[in-house]
Amino acid sequence: MSHVDPDRLAELVLAPDDSPSDVRRHVESCSECAVTLAALSDVRRLVGEESLVPAPAGVRDRVMAQARTRPPPADDVVRPLASTVPAASRRGPRIPVWAAGLAAAVALVAGLGIGRVTVPEPAAPEPEDPGSVVAAADLTALDSDADRGVARAVSVDDMVTLRVSARELGDEDGFHEVWLINVDGTRMVALGVLADWDTGEFQVPRGLIEEGYRIVDISVEPEDGDPTHSGVSLARGELA
Amino acid sequence: MSTVAFPTLPSRRYGGAVVTGMSEVEEEQDDGVRSLAARLVAGDETALEQVYDRWSALVHTYALRALRDAGDAEEATQQVFVAAWRSRHTLVPSPHALPAWLIGIARHKVSDVRLARSRDADRAAAVAAQPEAHAVVEAADEEVADRLVVRQAVEELPDPRRTIVFLAFWEGLSHAEIADTVGLPLGTVKSHVRRGLVTLHQQLEGVRRESR
Repeated sequence: MSHVDPDRLAELVLAPDDSPSDVRRHVESCSECAVTLAALSDVRRLVGEESLVPAPAGVRDRVMAQARTRPPPADDVVRPLASTVPAASRRGPRIPVWAAGLAAAVALVAGLGIGRVTVPEPAAPEPEDPGSVVAAADLTALDSDADRGVARAVSVDDMVTLRVSARELGDEDGFHEVWLINVDGTRMVALGVLADWDTGEFQVPRGLIEEGYRIVDISVEPEDGDPTHSGVSLARGELA
Repeated sequence: MSTVAFPTLPSRRYGGAVVTGMSEVEEEQDDGVRSLAARLVAGDETALEQVYDRWSALVHTYALRALRDAGDAEEATQQVFVAAWRSRHTLVPSPHALPAWLIGIARHKVSDVRLARSRDADRAAAVAAQPEAHAVVEAADEEVADRLVVRQAVEELPDPRRTIVFLAFWEGLSHAEIADTVGLPLGTVKSHVRRGLVTLHQQLEGVRRESR
C-alpha cells in the first residue's frame, strides 16, 4: 500500500473511530506515516489554548517613528574610513547601516561607565595562560546588552595578543571577522577572521591599542570579496 | 488587555464546492509573504507597517507569555520590530521566514529581559519566585511559540475554513453544530477541519524549519 494521504491521517487524529481500518493498519507498519500522524496529533494538542493579544496602541507608532529615524549622514562618521573598493561596487546600504552601528557604538562608549559589568583590570590570568591580561572587553550584542562573550588583550613578552572568545553569534551565512575600532569613532582596522566561528587569537601591535583602537567588533561578512566591514556587527565591547 | 475578537461569523451562508482550489490560495499567500519580506529587505517602510500589523499580536503574545509582565512585553514588542527593521538585510525571503525570524528576535529580547531582571537586585525576589531551570523555561517558550504560530496560521486560513477550524478547535463545537452554524453540509465541514489541521501542521513545520 502506498502512503496514506495526510487528509486521511488527519481524519484518524480527529475521529479515530470513524477511520477505516486499512488506514490504521498502514500507519502501524509505516514509520513515515506514523511520524506524520504523530505530528498532526501534536498540532491537535497545540490548538485551542492560546489566543493572540494585540500589542497596546501606540507601539506601532513608536516602532515606525524609530524606524524612520535616519542614521546621521555617512560623511559625518565614516569619512576617514578609506576604502580600497570603488564606491560603485559597494552595495547601497552598506555605509549607512555601518554608520548607524558606529554612531550607536560611539554613543554607547560615550555613555558607558555606569551599569556595565566590566572585567576588572588587570584580570587574574587564567591558569593555563602564561601571559598577563592587560585589558578585557565584555562583548555584547549591539541592540541590547546580551552577553556575547569576552575579548582579552594578553601581553606575552613584548607582544599583545587579542584572544576573542565569543558566544551566541548566531548562524547567519558568511564568516565572522574581528575588527578594532578607534574610540574616536572614525578609524578601524581588520584583525582577521574567526576561523572556528567564535574563538580566535590575533596579534596586535601594542601601539594600536594605545592609540585608541580599543573597541572590539565582530562582524558577519558575506563571501563577496569586499574587504570592507559589511555593516553587520554581531558583538562589540571596549577594551578596558 | 484585550483579546483579538475572533471569529466574525459569516453573515452569508456558504455552499457548493468550497474545498477545491485551496492549495492555490495557500500558494498565493506564500508569494504574498515572500514579496512582503523582499520589500522589507529593500527598506520599504510600508512593508514594516504591514509586517507589524500582521505579526505584532504574535510577537506581543509571545513576549507576554514568556515575560508575564505587560510593560516588559510592550517594550519587548517595540524592540523586536525596531530590531527587525534595523537588521532587515539579514532576512532571506521565503514563505515562512518572516514569522520564524520575528520569533527568533523576540526570543533574544526575552532572554535579554530575563538577564536584566536577574541582574536587577530589586527583582531578585521575582526571579526567586520562578525557580524553573533554564531548559524548562526554554522548552516552555518553544511550546508557547508553537501554539502561537498555529494560532496565527488559523487567522490566515481562507474563510470559511478559518471560522470552521476556530469553532472546532477553540470553541469545541461538534462538526454537526458547526454545520448548523455556518450552513454547510456535514461532510464539507469535516473536510475543512481535516484540511485545516493539515495546513496548520504544514505552517508549523515551515516556521520550525526556518527557525533552525
